[in-house]
Amino acid sequence: MQARLTAFGVVLLVAIGILGVNAFSRANQAVGFGTSTMTGSNEVLDRAETELRKAIVAVREAEAAGADRGRLRDLVDRLNVALWMIERGEQLQAEGDVGAAVAQAQLSIDVSARLVLEAGKLRDESAQRTYYGKVFTFAMVPVASLLVTVVAHYGWLWWRRREVESVMRMEIKRVSEFEEEKR
Amino acid sequence: MVSMGEDAKRAVTIFISATIVFSMLAYVAATPRPSEQFFQIYVLGEGGKAERYYPGNNPNIPVGQAVRWYVGATNFMGSLQYVVIRVKLGNATLKAPDDTNRLPSPTPVLLEFKRVLMNNETWEFPFTWIIRESNRTGDVISPTVLEMNGVTIRNSDVNALNGYNFRVFFELWTFDPENGNVTFGWRTGTERRVAWLQIWFNATSLVK
Repeated sequence: MQARLTAFGVVLLVAIGILGVNAFSRANQAVGFGTSTMTGSNEVLDRAETELRKAIVAVREAEAAGADRGRLRDLVDRLNVALWMIERGEQLQAEGDVGAAVAQAQLSIDVSARLVLEAGKLRDESAQRTYYGKVFTFAMVPVASLLVTVVAHYGWLWWRRREVESVMRMEIKRVSEFEEEKR
Repeated sequence: MVSMGEDAKRAVTIFISATIVFSMLAYVAATPRPSEQFFQIYVLGEGGKAERYYPGNNPNIPVGQAVRWYVGATNFMGSLQYVVIRVKLGNATLKAPDDTNRLPSPTPVLLEFKRVLMNNETWEFPFTWIIRESNRTGDVISPTVLEMNGVTIRNSDVNALNGYNFRVFFELWTFDPENGNVTFGWRTGTERRVAWLQIWFNATSLVK
Protein backbone atom coordinates (compact mmCIF):
# COMPACT_ATOMS: atom_id res chain seq x y z
CA MET A 1 0.00 0.00 0.00
CA GLN A 2 2.83 2.35 1.01
CA ALA A 3 4.74 1.46 -2.20
CA ARG A 4 1.64 2.27 -4.29
CA LEU A 5 1.29 5.62 -2.54
CA THR A 6 4.97 6.43 -3.18
CA ALA A 7 4.60 5.55 -6.88
CA PHE A 8 1.47 7.73 -7.06
CA GLY A 9 3.39 10.59 -5.43
CA VAL A 10 6.21 10.28 -7.95
CA VAL A 11 3.73 10.30 -10.85
CA LEU A 12 2.04 13.35 -9.33
CA LEU A 13 5.38 15.17 -8.94
CA VAL A 14 6.31 14.40 -12.56
CA ALA A 15 2.91 15.67 -13.75
CA ILE A 16 3.30 18.86 -11.71
CA GLY A 17 6.82 19.28 -13.12
CA ILE A 18 5.58 18.87 -16.73
CA LEU A 19 2.75 21.33 -16.17
CA GLY A 20 5.17 23.77 -14.54
CA VAL A 21 7.63 23.61 -17.45
CA ASN A 22 4.76 24.00 -19.91
CA ALA A 23 3.36 27.02 -18.06
CA PHE A 24 6.83 28.63 -17.81
CA SER A 25 7.53 28.16 -21.52
CA ARG A 26 4.12 29.64 -22.45
CA ALA A 27 4.63 32.59 -20.12
CA ASN A 28 8.06 33.14 -21.62
CA GLN A 29 6.60 33.11 -25.12
CA ALA A 30 4.00 35.67 -24.06
CA VAL A 31 6.65 37.95 -22.60
CA GLY A 32 8.76 37.50 -25.74
CA PHE A 33 5.81 38.49 -27.94
CA GLY A 34 5.18 41.63 -25.88
CA THR A 35 8.81 42.73 -26.11
CA SER A 36 8.93 42.25 -29.87
CA THR A 37 5.74 44.33 -30.28
CA MET A 38 7.26 47.10 -28.18
CA THR A 39 10.46 46.96 -30.25
CA GLY A 40 8.33 47.20 -33.39
CA SER A 41 6.56 50.33 -32.19
CA ASN A 42 9.93 51.82 -31.16
CA GLU A 43 11.21 51.22 -34.67
CA VAL A 44 8.18 52.91 -36.23
CA LEU A 45 8.52 55.88 -33.86
CA ASP A 46 12.24 56.14 -34.67
CA ARG A 47 11.42 56.01 -38.38
CA ALA A 48 8.80 58.73 -37.87
CA GLU A 49 11.43 60.93 -36.20
CA THR A 50 13.87 60.27 -39.07
CA GLU A 51 11.21 61.13 -41.66
CA LEU A 52 10.35 64.30 -39.75
CA ARG A 53 14.00 65.38 -39.84
CA LYS A 54 14.10 64.76 -43.59
CA ALA A 55 10.98 66.92 -43.94
CA ILE A 56 12.59 69.68 -41.85
CA VAL A 57 15.68 69.64 -44.08
CA ALA A 58 13.44 69.79 -47.19
CA VAL A 59 11.47 72.77 -45.84
CA ARG A 60 14.72 74.54 -44.90
CA GLU A 61 15.93 74.09 -48.47
CA ALA A 62 12.70 75.65 -49.73
CA GLU A 63 13.24 78.54 -47.30
CA ALA A 64 16.84 79.02 -48.46
CA ALA A 65 15.61 79.06 -52.07
CA GLY A 66 13.50 82.11 -51.17
CA ALA A 67 10.03 80.63 -50.56
CA ASP A 68 7.49 83.17 -49.35
CA ARG A 69 6.65 83.31 -45.65
CA GLY A 70 2.96 82.42 -46.04
CA ARG A 71 3.62 79.11 -47.73
CA LEU A 72 6.46 78.35 -45.34
CA ARG A 73 4.11 79.01 -42.41
CA ASP A 74 1.76 76.33 -43.76
CA LEU A 75 4.59 73.80 -44.09
CA VAL A 76 5.96 74.59 -40.61
CA ASP A 77 2.48 74.18 -39.08
CA ARG A 78 2.26 70.74 -40.66
CA LEU A 79 5.76 69.86 -39.44
CA ASN A 80 4.53 70.66 -35.95
CA VAL A 81 1.50 68.42 -36.50
CA ALA A 82 3.83 65.55 -37.49
CA LEU A 83 5.94 66.29 -34.41
CA TRP A 84 2.85 66.27 -32.20
CA MET A 85 1.85 62.87 -33.64
CA ILE A 86 5.23 61.42 -32.70
CA GLU A 87 4.94 62.78 -29.17
CA ARG A 88 1.42 61.39 -28.90
CA GLY A 89 2.72 58.04 -30.17
CA GLU A 90 5.43 58.02 -27.51
CA GLN A 91 2.83 58.86 -24.87
CA LEU A 92 0.55 56.04 -26.04
CA GLN A 93 3.48 53.63 -26.07
CA ALA A 94 4.32 54.61 -22.48
CA GLU A 95 0.68 53.90 -21.56
CA GLY A 96 0.99 50.47 -23.17
CA ASP A 97 -1.26 51.11 -26.18
CA VAL A 98 1.23 49.87 -28.76
CA GLY A 99 -1.24 49.61 -31.64
CA ALA A 100 -2.37 53.24 -31.31
CA ALA A 101 1.27 54.34 -30.92
CA VAL A 102 2.20 52.62 -34.19
CA ALA A 103 -0.84 54.17 -35.92
CA GLN A 104 0.17 57.67 -34.76
CA ALA A 105 3.75 57.13 -35.88
CA GLN A 106 2.56 55.88 -39.26
CA LEU A 107 0.37 58.97 -39.69
CA SER A 108 3.36 61.15 -38.85
CA ILE A 109 5.46 59.31 -41.46
CA ASP A 110 2.76 59.95 -44.10
CA VAL A 111 2.57 63.66 -43.22
CA SER A 112 6.37 63.99 -43.33
CA ALA A 113 6.60 62.16 -46.66
CA ARG A 114 3.99 64.50 -48.19
CA LEU A 115 5.85 67.48 -46.77
CA VAL A 116 9.11 66.35 -48.38
CA LEU A 117 7.37 66.26 -51.78
CA GLU A 118 5.64 69.63 -51.34
CA ALA A 119 8.75 71.30 -49.96
CA GLY A 120 10.71 70.00 -52.96
CA LYS A 121 8.20 71.55 -55.36
CA LEU A 122 8.17 74.81 -53.41
CA ARG A 123 12.00 74.87 -53.42
CA ASP A 124 12.12 74.46 -57.20
CA GLU A 125 9.46 77.14 -57.77
CA SER A 126 11.12 79.53 -55.35
CA ALA A 127 14.60 78.94 -56.77
CA GLN A 128 13.30 79.68 -60.26
CA ARG A 129 11.47 82.80 -59.10
CA THR A 130 14.53 84.02 -57.19
CA TYR A 131 16.72 83.36 -60.25
CA TYR A 132 14.41 85.30 -62.56
CA GLY A 133 14.19 88.07 -59.98
CA LYS A 134 17.98 88.38 -59.91
CA VAL A 135 18.22 88.27 -63.70
CA PHE A 136 15.57 91.00 -63.93
CA THR A 137 17.34 93.14 -61.32
CA PHE A 138 20.69 92.96 -63.12
CA ALA A 139 19.04 93.36 -66.53
CA MET A 140 17.55 96.62 -65.29
CA VAL A 141 21.03 98.03 -64.62
CA PRO A 142 21.90 98.99 -68.26
CA VAL A 143 18.30 100.11 -68.86
CA ALA A 144 18.39 102.43 -65.84
CA SER A 145 21.87 103.65 -66.81
CA LEU A 146 20.67 104.40 -70.34
CA LEU A 147 17.68 106.32 -69.00
CA VAL A 148 19.93 108.36 -66.73
CA THR A 149 22.32 109.02 -69.63
CA VAL A 150 19.51 110.13 -71.97
CA VAL A 151 17.96 112.36 -69.30
CA ALA A 152 21.35 113.85 -68.43
CA HIS A 153 22.26 114.38 -72.10
CA TYR A 154 19.03 116.12 -73.05
CA GLY A 155 19.03 117.99 -69.77
CA TRP A 156 22.49 119.25 -70.56
CA LEU A 157 21.44 120.26 -74.07
CA TRP A 158 18.39 122.10 -72.74
CA TRP A 159 20.42 123.92 -70.11
CA ARG A 160 23.11 124.97 -72.63
CA ARG A 161 20.51 126.21 -75.10
CA ARG A 162 18.88 128.20 -72.32
CA GLU A 163 22.22 129.75 -71.40
CA VAL A 164 23.02 130.58 -75.03
CA GLU A 165 19.59 132.07 -75.53
CA SER A 166 19.95 134.21 -72.46
CA VAL A 167 23.25 135.50 -73.85
CA MET A 168 21.61 136.11 -77.21
CA ARG A 169 18.83 138.10 -75.62
CA MET A 170 21.31 140.55 -74.17
CA GLU A 171 21.10 144.03 -75.72
CA ILE A 172 23.90 146.47 -76.25
CA LYS A 173 22.73 149.98 -75.71
CA ARG A 174 24.69 153.02 -76.82
CA VAL A 175 24.35 156.06 -74.64
CA SER A 176 25.29 159.38 -76.28
CA GLU A 177 27.65 161.91 -74.57
CA PHE A 178 24.94 164.52 -74.62
CA GLU A 179 22.52 162.29 -72.75
CA GLU A 180 25.21 161.43 -70.27
CA GLU A 181 25.92 165.08 -69.59
CA LYS A 182 22.22 165.70 -69.15
CA ARG A 183 22.15 163.16 -66.37
CA MET B 1 40.75 106.83 -85.40
CA VAL B 2 37.31 108.18 -84.87
CA SER B 3 37.34 111.02 -82.38
CA MET B 4 34.31 111.40 -80.14
CA GLY B 5 32.55 114.67 -79.81
CA GLU B 6 32.23 116.41 -76.45
CA ASP B 7 28.59 115.32 -76.09
CA ALA B 8 29.36 111.67 -76.83
CA LYS B 9 32.25 111.65 -74.34
CA ARG B 10 30.02 113.12 -71.66
CA ALA B 11 27.24 110.59 -72.40
CA VAL B 12 29.66 107.64 -72.21
CA THR B 13 31.06 108.90 -68.89
CA ILE B 14 27.57 109.28 -67.43
CA PHE B 15 26.55 105.84 -68.72
CA ILE B 16 29.59 104.10 -67.18
CA SER B 17 29.18 105.94 -63.85
CA ALA B 18 25.46 105.11 -63.70
CA THR B 19 26.18 101.45 -64.56
CA ILE B 20 28.66 101.18 -61.69
CA VAL B 21 26.25 102.76 -59.19
CA PHE B 22 23.23 100.70 -60.32
CA SER B 23 25.25 97.46 -60.34
CA MET B 24 26.20 98.04 -56.74
CA LEU B 25 22.58 98.75 -55.83
CA ALA B 26 21.44 95.59 -57.66
CA TYR B 27 24.06 93.51 -55.83
CA VAL B 28 22.97 94.86 -52.45
CA ALA B 29 19.30 94.21 -53.31
CA ALA B 30 19.96 90.65 -54.51
CA THR B 31 22.27 89.60 -51.69
CA PRO B 32 20.72 88.83 -48.28
CA ARG B 33 22.33 90.82 -45.50
CA PRO B 34 24.32 88.67 -43.05
CA SER B 35 22.92 88.94 -39.54
CA GLU B 36 23.94 87.55 -36.19
CA GLN B 37 22.44 84.10 -35.60
CA PHE B 38 21.24 83.31 -32.11
CA PHE B 39 18.41 82.00 -29.94
CA GLN B 40 16.73 83.59 -26.98
CA ILE B 41 15.39 81.48 -24.11
CA TYR B 42 13.52 82.75 -21.08
CA VAL B 43 11.48 81.70 -18.08
CA LEU B 44 8.83 84.00 -16.62
CA GLY B 45 6.89 83.80 -13.37
CA GLU B 46 3.22 82.94 -12.98
CA GLY B 47 2.14 86.45 -14.08
CA GLY B 48 4.11 86.23 -17.32
CA LYS B 49 6.73 88.64 -15.96
CA ALA B 50 10.24 88.25 -14.61
CA GLU B 51 8.92 88.11 -11.05
CA ARG B 52 6.84 85.87 -8.75
CA TYR B 53 8.61 82.65 -9.64
CA TYR B 54 7.38 80.98 -6.45
CA PRO B 55 3.88 80.87 -4.95
CA GLY B 56 3.77 83.61 -2.32
CA ASN B 57 7.36 84.48 -3.26
CA ASN B 58 8.48 81.64 -1.02
CA PRO B 59 11.17 79.50 -2.73
CA ASN B 60 10.44 76.63 -0.34
CA ILE B 61 8.09 74.44 -2.38
CA PRO B 62 6.04 71.98 -0.31
CA VAL B 63 4.62 68.70 -1.59
CA GLY B 64 1.44 69.26 -3.60
CA GLN B 65 2.08 72.97 -4.30
CA ALA B 66 1.74 73.83 -7.98
CA VAL B 67 4.41 76.15 -9.40
CA ARG B 68 3.57 77.86 -12.67
CA TRP B 69 6.12 79.36 -15.03
CA TYR B 70 6.15 80.39 -18.68
CA VAL B 71 9.00 79.08 -20.79
CA GLY B 72 9.82 80.70 -24.12
CA ALA B 73 12.30 80.58 -26.95
CA THR B 74 12.79 82.89 -29.95
CA ASN B 75 14.54 81.91 -33.13
CA PHE B 76 16.87 84.57 -34.58
CA MET B 77 18.85 82.10 -36.67
CA GLY B 78 17.70 83.42 -40.03
CA SER B 79 16.09 80.08 -40.93
CA LEU B 80 13.55 77.66 -39.49
CA GLN B 81 14.83 75.53 -36.64
CA TYR B 82 13.81 72.35 -34.82
CA VAL B 83 14.07 73.29 -31.16
CA VAL B 84 13.99 71.03 -28.11
CA ILE B 85 13.84 72.40 -24.57
CA ARG B 86 15.00 69.80 -22.06
CA VAL B 87 13.99 70.10 -18.44
CA LYS B 88 16.34 68.62 -15.86
CA LEU B 89 16.45 68.55 -12.08
CA GLY B 90 19.69 69.32 -10.31
CA ASN B 91 21.05 70.25 -6.92
CA ALA B 92 23.96 72.32 -5.65
CA THR B 93 26.55 69.62 -6.32
CA LEU B 94 25.43 68.12 -9.62
CA LYS B 95 27.06 69.83 -12.60
CA ALA B 96 25.23 72.60 -14.41
CA PRO B 97 25.63 72.92 -18.21
CA ASP B 98 29.17 73.94 -19.15
CA ASP B 99 29.30 77.17 -21.18
CA THR B 100 33.03 76.93 -21.86
CA ASN B 101 33.04 73.39 -23.24
CA ARG B 102 29.42 73.61 -24.43
CA LEU B 103 28.36 70.50 -22.53
CA PRO B 104 24.85 69.83 -21.18
CA SER B 105 24.21 69.02 -17.55
CA PRO B 106 24.78 65.31 -16.82
CA THR B 107 21.53 65.17 -14.81
CA PRO B 108 18.76 63.04 -16.33
CA VAL B 109 16.13 64.60 -18.61
CA LEU B 110 12.75 64.77 -16.88
CA LEU B 111 10.73 66.18 -19.74
CA GLU B 112 11.31 67.70 -23.15
CA PHE B 113 9.33 70.09 -25.32
CA LYS B 114 9.79 70.10 -29.08
CA ARG B 115 8.79 72.57 -31.75
CA VAL B 116 9.70 73.68 -35.26
CA LEU B 117 10.14 77.46 -35.21
CA MET B 118 10.22 79.86 -38.13
CA ASN B 119 12.75 82.68 -38.27
CA ASN B 120 11.88 85.47 -35.79
CA GLU B 121 9.17 83.32 -34.21
CA THR B 122 8.65 83.13 -30.46
CA TRP B 123 7.33 79.98 -28.84
CA GLU B 124 6.00 80.29 -25.31
CA PHE B 125 4.25 77.64 -23.25
CA PRO B 126 3.09 77.29 -19.64
CA PHE B 127 5.12 75.00 -17.46
CA THR B 128 3.44 73.79 -14.28
CA TRP B 129 5.17 71.45 -11.89
CA ILE B 130 4.28 69.90 -8.56
CA ILE B 131 6.24 67.76 -6.14
CA ARG B 132 3.84 64.86 -5.66
CA GLU B 133 5.94 62.78 -3.28
CA SER B 134 9.05 63.49 -1.31
CA ASN B 135 11.24 61.15 0.66
CA ARG B 136 13.49 61.85 3.63
CA THR B 137 16.39 59.55 4.48
CA GLY B 138 18.25 61.00 7.44
CA ASP B 139 19.13 64.58 6.49
CA VAL B 140 18.67 63.96 2.80
CA ILE B 141 15.43 64.88 1.07
CA SER B 142 14.54 63.69 -2.40
CA PRO B 143 11.48 64.67 -4.43
CA THR B 144 10.71 61.16 -5.65
CA VAL B 145 7.61 61.86 -7.73
CA LEU B 146 7.11 65.06 -9.72
CA GLU B 147 4.32 66.11 -12.02
CA MET B 148 5.27 68.36 -14.91
CA ASN B 149 2.52 69.62 -17.25
CA GLY B 150 0.37 66.67 -16.21
CA VAL B 151 3.11 64.07 -16.78
CA THR B 152 4.17 62.03 -13.76
CA ILE B 153 7.93 61.66 -13.49
CA ARG B 154 9.89 59.54 -11.03
CA ASN B 155 13.18 60.85 -9.72
CA SER B 156 15.67 58.63 -7.97
CA ASP B 157 18.88 60.49 -8.80
CA VAL B 158 18.61 63.94 -7.30
CA ASN B 159 18.46 64.74 -3.61
CA ALA B 160 19.71 67.49 -1.35
CA LEU B 161 20.81 67.99 2.22
CA ASN B 162 17.70 69.02 4.19
CA GLY B 163 16.01 69.74 0.85
CA TYR B 164 17.97 72.94 0.17
CA ASN B 165 19.21 74.19 -3.19
CA PHE B 166 17.48 72.14 -5.82
CA ARG B 167 17.40 73.69 -9.26
CA VAL B 168 15.45 73.16 -12.47
CA PHE B 169 17.52 73.43 -15.64
CA PHE B 170 16.10 74.42 -19.03
CA GLU B 171 18.50 73.54 -21.82
CA LEU B 172 18.05 74.57 -25.44
CA TRP B 173 18.89 71.84 -27.95
CA THR B 174 18.57 72.16 -31.72
CA PHE B 175 18.58 69.88 -34.72
CA ASP B 176 21.84 70.12 -36.62
CA PRO B 177 21.23 69.08 -40.25
CA GLU B 178 24.98 68.58 -40.77
CA ASN B 179 25.15 65.57 -38.46
CA GLY B 180 21.42 64.76 -38.36
CA ASN B 181 21.26 64.88 -34.55
CA VAL B 182 19.67 67.07 -31.93
CA THR B 183 22.59 68.71 -30.13
CA PHE B 184 23.01 71.04 -27.17
CA GLY B 185 23.05 74.68 -28.32
CA TRP B 186 23.38 75.72 -31.95
CA ARG B 187 25.97 76.21 -34.64
CA THR B 188 26.67 79.71 -36.00
CA GLY B 189 29.30 79.66 -38.70
CA THR B 190 32.14 77.57 -37.36
CA GLU B 191 31.27 78.39 -33.76
CA ARG B 192 28.98 76.56 -31.33
CA ARG B 193 26.92 78.40 -28.76
CA VAL B 194 24.73 77.23 -25.92
CA ALA B 195 21.83 78.67 -23.93
CA TRP B 196 20.37 77.40 -20.69
CA LEU B 197 18.59 78.67 -17.60
CA GLN B 198 18.21 77.53 -14.04
CA ILE B 199 15.81 78.36 -11.23
CA TRP B 200 16.66 77.42 -7.67
CA PHE B 201 14.17 76.17 -5.09
CA ASN B 202 14.05 74.37 -1.77
CA ALA B 203 11.95 71.33 -0.96
CA THR B 204 12.30 71.18 2.79
CA SER B 205 8.67 70.45 3.63
CA LEU B 206 7.34 66.97 3.10
CA VAL B 207 3.74 68.13 3.41
CA LYS B 208 1.87 71.19 2.12
